[in-house]
Amino acid sequence: MPIIRAEGLTKTYRVTQKQDGLLGAFKGLYRREYKEVRAVGDVSFSIEPGEMVAFLGPNGAGKTTTLKMLSGLIYPTSGSAEVLGFVPWRRDDAFRRQFSLVMGQKNQLWWPPPAADSFQLHREIYSLPKADFDRTLAELTELLGVEKLTRQAVRELSLGERMKMELIAALLHQPRLLLLDEPTIGLDVVAQVAIQKCLRDYHARRGVTMLLTSHYMRDIEALCDRVLVITHGTLVYDGPLSGITGMFGLSKLVRLQFAEGIPDDVDRFGEVTRREGPTVDLKVERSKVAEVLAAILDLHAVDDVSVTDPPLEQTIARVFQEGRPTHDAA
Amino acid sequence: MRILAKYLRLLGSLARFTLAREMAFRGNFLVKVSVEVIWLGIMLAFYETIFGRTKVLAGWRKDEFLFFVGCFFALNGLIEMLFLENCNDFAELVRTGDLDFLLIRPIDEQFLITCRRVDWATAPNVLMGAAVMGIALARMHWQFDPVRVMAFLATFACGTAIAYSFMLVLTAFSVWMVRNQSLMEMWWLFSSLARYPKEIFLGSRAEPLGFLFTFILPILLVANVPANAMVRTLNPPMVGFTLFATAILLWASRKFFQHALRSYRSASS
Repeated sequence: MPIIRAEGLTKTYRVTQKQDGLLGAFKGLYRREYKEVRAVGDVSFSIEPGEMVAFLGPNGAGKTTTLKMLSGLIYPTSGSAEVLGFVPWRRDDAFRRQFSLVMGQKNQLWWPPPAADSFQLHREIYSLPKADFDRTLAELTELLGVEKLTRQAVRELSLGERMKMELIAALLHQPRLLLLDEPTIGLDVVAQVAIQKCLRDYHARRGVTMLLTSHYMRDIEALCDRVLVITHGTLVYDGPLSGITGMFGLSKLVRLQFAEGIPDDVDRFGEVTRREGPTVDLKVERSKVAEVLAAILDLHAVDDVSVTDPPLEQTIARVFQEGRPTHDAA
Repeated sequence: MRILAKYLRLLGSLARFTLAREMAFRGNFLVKVSVEVIWLGIMLAFYETIFGRTKVLAGWRKDEFLFFVGCFFALNGLIEMLFLENCNDFAELVRTGDLDFLLIRPIDEQFLITCRRVDWATAPNVLMGAAVMGIALARMHWQFDPVRVMAFLATFACGTAIAYSFMLVLTAFSVWMVRNQSLMEMWWLFSSLARYPKEIFLGSRAEPLGFLFTFILPILLVANVPANAMVRTLNPPMVGFTLFATAILLWASRKFFQHALRSYRSASS
């Protein structure tokens, strides 16, 4: 039975259209113009227990809005969802007890007291037995290497240390589902890797289900086997990360090392993306790779040849811009 | 009962937690307490000035009125201590989207939003109000009467609940308005109305207002009924009406607040 099931989730906002200038501001006092903005449209997917799934999409694609509907913070305009067996926006206590939400750009720890005080309050709110709480806290502080920082005022912690504390707060009640919205945003590479490692280790230990949004491909590659790509509020891909290239990649990268220097007419075989000594990179349409290679090998002496997919980030950037797959998902 | 015990325990934890937080900003704490002491001094000076010229004000004798002042001060202090700062912060929580982290907790949203922080700097107001009431009772040689005491305690709690309900409704508007700086102004208006005896609404023009603020928007019940029950006439129908109005207002304000939360849009990160 899926831990998350979303069916046709749609969220439309009514936003005010501000008119320019002072006169416009006065007009707005008695007559306002509104526009309907569809943040998420007809999104359907399901996630099984224990999966680690990434939500990929450009800014404003609808990732966070979907996460917020799944965590019960906002009501959908239409569609339905079941998370951990509950309708999330009814916000049953039994539902809220079983999941956590971490937002990289927001703090849930109370400032300025030390994080340890926030954790104690957390224990009261979630009615956690003291022995369980102490054991989980010890496990998490050890996992994240912050045993000595919990008594330090939160405002005196670095951004990376604070995010570790946020993660601890989110995991103290041992949720079955963890929703993460940009958990590594603004962190340096060392802190990013530490957070990724913690999430991976925690998943290995507890089998918690994770749904993650991130702009950092490293997060996605390090953590998630499955990716949901959403652009302009619509889900355009649901499958393994490696499948994105097959689904969206129109071209291949052909690298050739010529025996007698790069021929002058090389650009008629494809788009030249790099030249270095006798080596050239050509972007060639996927369906024409064999034909192009045969033609080149027929005309020129080639010492070395390789055919690869273009970097994943390039493909994803193109998906974000175009928002449509090249053919239907399998 | 278990749920009530859980919420009381949680309230205690939140109070301890915010006390530790308040102590981190000692200067702010001391300034706030000083302002409240000065404010009580002004109220008492005004009271002395008036009763220096008359023995009775709108049917209230000097010591009875002193009790009324103490009752209002304690009640207002209790509201400010428990709810005002929380409600005032609500618009900011909506604007920034930080409300998200309160809504995902497995606990009543209204409780967590309106009770999460205790404003310890206004706690002395409750004690000062209680002290003024004690002095007034001693000066009028008040004879202990358990019925009056029970009626006072019940209607004092009702007064607090009525004030809380009004504040909750004002707070709920923040969900749509986002910027709700008018809450403090509205609360000032509310507390200004509640701080005077309802008998001041005399005459053909003022009496409809007195009726309005007693039976329709029952702001005048807040301090008038408990003070009357303790040191003047114990009026059972009025006590009954106060209990009834409290139940209705608590219910209606909760429904309105829950309705408002449905419109929460959660500001983007």
